[in-house]
Amino acid sequence: MNTSHNCENCPVHHREHLIRLGIAMDRVDYIVALAGNPNTGKSTVFNNLTGLRQHTGNWPGKTVARAEGGFSYREKRYKVVDLPGTYSLLSTSTDEEVARDFILFGRPDVTVIVVDATRLERNLNLTLQILEITDRAVLCLNLMDEARRHGMEIDARTLSRELGIPVIPAAARQKEGMDELIAAIEEVASGTFVCKPHRTTSRSAKINHAVQMLSDKLSRQFPGLPNLNWVALRLLEGDQSIIHALQSGELEKLGAPVEQP
Amino acid sequence: MMLSIQPAFALTTGLLVLLFLGLLFWPQKGLFAIWSVGKVNTQRVLLEDALKFLFDSEYKGIPIRLNGFAGYLHISTDKATRLVESLRAMGLVQSKEDLLKLTDAGRSYALRIIRVHRIWERYLADETGVANKEWHGKADLQEHRMSLEAADMLAAQIGNPVFDPHGDPIPSSRGELPAFTGKPLSALKEGELARIVHIEDEPGAIYAQILALGLYPGMQIYIMDVSDDRIQFAANGEECVLTPLFASNITVESLAEREPLKEKFAPLSTLRLGESAEIKGISPSCRGQQRRRLMDLGVVPGALIRAAFASATGDPVAYQVMGATVAIRKSQADLIFIKPVLTPN
Amino acid sequence: MEDNKEKVGSDAILSLANNLRWDLGVNLHDTVIESIYEDASRIARKAVNKEGDPATYSLEQRIDQLVTSRWLGFPLMFLLLALVFWLTVAGANVPSGLLADLLVDTFHPMLKNAASSLGAPWWLSGVLIDGAYLSMAWVISVMLPPMAIFFPLFTLLEDLGYLPRVAFNMDSLFRKAGAHGKQALTLSMGFGCNAAGVIAARVIDSPRERLIAIITNNFSLCNGRWPTQILIASIFIGGAAPSYLAGVISAGAVVGIAVLGIGFSLAVSWGLSQTVLKGEASAFSLELPPYRPPRIWQALYTSLIDRTVFVLWRAVVFAIPAGIVIWVVANIEINSLSLAGHFIHWANPFALIFGLNGVILLAYIIAIPANEIVIPTVLMLTVVSAGMSGVGEGTGVMFELESVQDTAGILQAGGWTLLTGINLMLFSLLHNPCSTTIYTIYKETKSLKWTAVATFLPIVLGFAVCFFVTQFWRLLAG
Repeated sequence: MNTSHNCENCPVHHREHLIRLGIAMDRVDYIVALAGNPNTGKSTVFNNLTGLRQHTGNWPGKTVARAEGGFSYREKRYKVVDLPGTYSLLSTSTDEEVARDFILFGRPDVTVIVVDATRLERNLNLTLQILEITDRAVLCLNLMDEARRHGMEIDARTLSRELGIPVIPAAARQKEGMDELIAAIEEVASGTFVCKPHRTTSRSAKINHAVQMLSDKLSRQFPGLPNLNWVALRLLEGDQSIIHALQSGELEKLGAPVEQP
Repeated sequence: MMLSIQPAFALTTGLLVLLFLGLLFWPQKGLFAIWSVGKVNTQRVLLEDALKFLFDSEYKGIPIRLNGFAGYLHISTDKATRLVESLRAMGLVQSKEDLLKLTDAGRSYALRIIRVHRIWERYLADETGVANKEWHGKADLQEHRMSLEAADMLAAQIGNPVFDPHGDPIPSSRGELPAFTGKPLSALKEGELARIVHIEDEPGAIYAQILALGLYPGMQIYIMDVSDDRIQFAANGEECVLTPLFASNITVESLAEREPLKEKFAPLSTLRLGESAEIKGISPSCRGQQRRRLMDLGVVPGALIRAAFASATGDPVAYQVMGATVAIRKSQADLIFIKPVLTPN
Repeated sequence: MEDNKEKVGSDAILSLANNLRWDLGVNLHDTVIESIYEDASRIARKAVNKEGDPATYSLEQRIDQLVTSRWLGFPLMFLLLALVFWLTVAGANVPSGLLADLLVDTFHPMLKNAASSLGAPWWLSGVLIDGAYLSMAWVISVMLPPMAIFFPLFTLLEDLGYLPRVAFNMDSLFRKAGAHGKQALTLSMGFGCNAAGVIAARVIDSPRERLIAIITNNFSLCNGRWPTQILIASIFIGGAAPSYLAGVISAGAVVGIAVLGIGFSLAVSWGLSQTVLKGEASAFSLELPPYRPPRIWQALYTSLIDRTVFVLWRAVVFAIPAGIVIWVVANIEINSLSLAGHFIHWANPFALIFGLNGVILLAYIIAIPANEIVIPTVLMLTVVSAGMSGVGEGTGVMFELESVQDTAGILQAGGWTLLTGINLMLFSLLHNPCSTTIYTIYKETKSLKWTAVATFLPIVLGFAVCFFVTQFWRLLAG
């Protein structure tokens, strides 16, 4: 559904350095993708960042059209793209394809992964899949209020060290942690924080060998591709959009340095 | 205003129209369905079936003589001779004495048909609600109709599969096929460990019985006892007995390293409300999107699952897995294997 | 040359990948997912210092056990849904009346006066004011209030986390029809507006079940059709019953039609899943999210913008040209008979076989944009074709009457009987979706084929049902 309306009504909050731009995005410096499982409060985070009022219910598949919004922080303008909420990027549903293709081909400067702190393990499934694709991401550990209410304790530092990306505990409904999240987005976007994303290691020797063989060939064909092993694995799974990108030469462009818009 | 039509007449006509439409369009048995099945050119079907058979024998290293050829295709030797004659005229087959051999052109023709057939079977298995006994028959119809391009497009849609649901490799669009490595289950000896790679779907009666035993490609089996008239083996913790005839319809590959045998696991549907279990696996008959969805929701081997509460009608049941509450229908829960864990209280 | 070299490279890569895939065997996808989860659980174990305390979940569990319990689950659900519908119907009455007063009874004469004082030709003011404006005004005044109440209430239930439990409870019924439990939600949503119900089918992620939900949504008696049902039931069915029972019986008839619609919905779902949709992918997944306090303002804002205004806008866009067509067919005359008159005379013999009449058929054709304007159109056409004078707003202008008695008078003068009334009620349930819904179905499925199925299947069913009811009735009545 169309959500790009009513920019006149958008409350423009002035916090320190932060200006919510709603959908007014004529010139942007960075593109931020927002990904996450359904029911993690992803749209609340989106609304907090942009000042828009995107609403999605308790269901996957609600955000079929991508919602976009923007904010400005420390004189840089950010475009935020809200991707459909998905459990995975590997199950070939339309939603997942939209999300996956944007993270891969849209080459966002930062991907913010919103996870439900009370369901960390399952949410990490999607997180790890995203970290295979991109190496610039921030984890927003949302719903910390619920986690606290259930007496859960999560060590954000350990999590950050394990994943190799900034981890920001947040409670988006209470607008908790949003300033820290924006600061982390800025650090990753500007390159102040260099991510060392976790890449899955616990695959069998047979698979690793196959991936290695294929990525050797790929690296000769497409030098500079940032996620060789992942592309190789996708080819081994017969992923049509990667095969297509390979044949059409689109993959080659992913290896080229990002030109600033 | 006067009504000119008698109600009795109108009703009869109405019912007749309904009957007529039913006769035309009834699924599978209606005239329309029969007509569309009959549309396929029978001569071409015979020719393509012959090529497929020749290729399959060649692939498995079995020499083919004219007699066996006629027997397989259920046609008279006369007819078979004529068929071979026309195949040779088309440059698809060579024959030395009565030994038949495919030419390169014949081989690539056969591979095309096999590719369409196996892609279609995989499509039916993964993406549709068609029962597994119908896959083969439906694919047999499609293989003579569908172009290679259409098959390629279908393959692209379903993730370019390389195996059909019976575990057979699907030839690539360039006509490549891996070398045949399997041997029939009937050739295994006592104490051997093997994995099923293929279950032959013809003849249908034998296939149905093998399916009824719950055997599937990818399953590990352990041979317990072999005698002249029966082969006893363990599969998924269950003992199975097959006659050598049946066993020869199952192709296996030997497993060099001895992996620990799987114990027998209970289905998730037997877990009582409030109890917990460890997930041990998902049956391969849970396929395609359904399988991927379950795994997305956290139903993966090693995860703990707890039956939380049932719906007002008792099915589906809500399970807690990885912190989330997920509804699973009984028919799905039957296909998820678990090992109950003892929970305090 | 450069291009050529590259092509060889990617072909070689794909060929290598293919060979490796044969080596890796059939279970590759599973092992890949399992290894990701393995890492995920290792990381989670390291990062989570303290697991949640089970006691803090007990309230949620108790609510879940209550709303899904064998004895209370369904009554609770019916109670809540009935409450939503009651609030919608009862709450919409007053604002609907106010809007009609304002847009139809006040602005319409004002515009007419203004037009005549400006000296606009009769046909221009007819087309624009009696046609386009009036049909738009009608659609807004009938459609807006119920939707503005229904959608926010529904969104609140959804936000709360209750609706997934409804899908959970209803799943066994829908499973037997080859459908998904979430179809219970699209079906309920359809009672508000079929177009919204079709959009809501997005929550069903399995392609087959989603198509089934979309195609059968029209069998939910939508907001726009309730007034027709109530009016016709009270005139013909209530009229045929003894007066002390009239209210109960006519209300029962309307509820009966709605229940019949649910029956059709399930039966057609079953038929589709067994036949044409057998070949579509199917997967059941349903997560039951935790209960969370709804965000009331956000629910209000978005259900008003995303659903109400969106649906209303589409309806208005279609209603304006329809209003023009309605005015034209009723006012343009050939051989001193209006276009509508020609059609009605031509269609009458055919329509009578189905127990309907030419007026009803024409009304359903030109009122495709919105079921809300069916009754005004029927009244106007009846007056036009029967050549009555002194009722309504003048020739060829849609109208409704305050009194049920007067409406009954017009219809009976137009040759309507109890049988016509029953058939109209059936046909109102079983006919093509309104143009807004048809367009929405196309947008959602992106398939002309399924849009055509969803459009024509109900009409065929409607004609068949009306035909058999009529002919049996006449057979029994002699």
